[in-house]
Amino acid sequence: MSNAPNSLRTPLSRIRHLGSARSGTGHLWAMRVTAVALALLLIAVTILMLTLVGQDYNAVRATMARPLPAILMLAFTLTAAYHMMIGMRTIIEDYVPNDHQREWALIGNALFCGAVALASVYAVLKISFV
Amino acid sequence: MAEASTPADKRPRVSAAERPLSPHLQIYRPMLTMMMSITHRITGAALYLGSLLLVWWLLALATDARAFQFATDILTSWFGRLVLFGFTLALFTHFMGGLRHFVWDTGRGMEHPQREWLAQATLVGGVGLTLLVWIAAYALR
Repeated sequence: MSNAPNSLRTPLSRIRHLGSARSGTGHLWAMRVTAVALALLLIAVTILMLTLVGQDYNAVRATMARPLPAILMLAFTLTAAYHMMIGMRTIIEDYVPNDHQREWALIGNALFCGAVALASVYAVLKISFV
Repeated sequence: MAEASTPADKRPRVSAAERPLSPHLQIYRPMLTMMMSITHRITGAALYLGSLLLVWWLLALATDARAFQFATDILTSWFGRLVLFGFTLALFTHFMGGLRHFVWDTGRGMEHPQREWLAQATLVGGVGLTLLVWIAAYALR
């Protein structure tokens, strides 16, 4: 009845209180874009890692200092860190019912993933340029 | 309407067990499709912690030969290999689970036989890719 074309209710009042709309499709889309990137990057990273098996320090470091492996590793670790952060955010939102604990868990999640990203970038750049 | 005028703490308490509950996990018999869905989340969480292995390896490589040797010694010990095997198994199972979501995103694979087939393919593909990579690693050593 409230959806009748001649209803006097505004569109906003019709959808209000019908459910949570905290993030809409933004999360799903970000998850899929990073997943497509990671699926392709994982194949390349796996091949790169297999070429490094059994190599000594100097050989591994020389390989990782080359542009393609370095850029590949930067793309992989940064995309993975973002994918990890939004994935763990969903897990926390699903399983931590207490508002206060959930907010701290979400902060911890962002800091952990940020640290993973920064440490990886630092290591790859140091291997490349120092 | 009488209840509305009574303060919340004065109303008779209804115990949690008396309220109708929607059926949850313990009601259902475990099914492969359900287990693979849970596996996708568990492997994702495992890889979250496992990312520290890659960060540690990269930092050791960036530091010096001694740090790299230390990391390599631990990662190639029997315990290190066990952890790395678990890491790669989680990685490729999660990878296959992601491909399964891409199939579903196109609107395909939702019917019962396809669903079942996709769940099996995720499991077999994840284990298969892991074994393939480890065989390749030992062959290239």
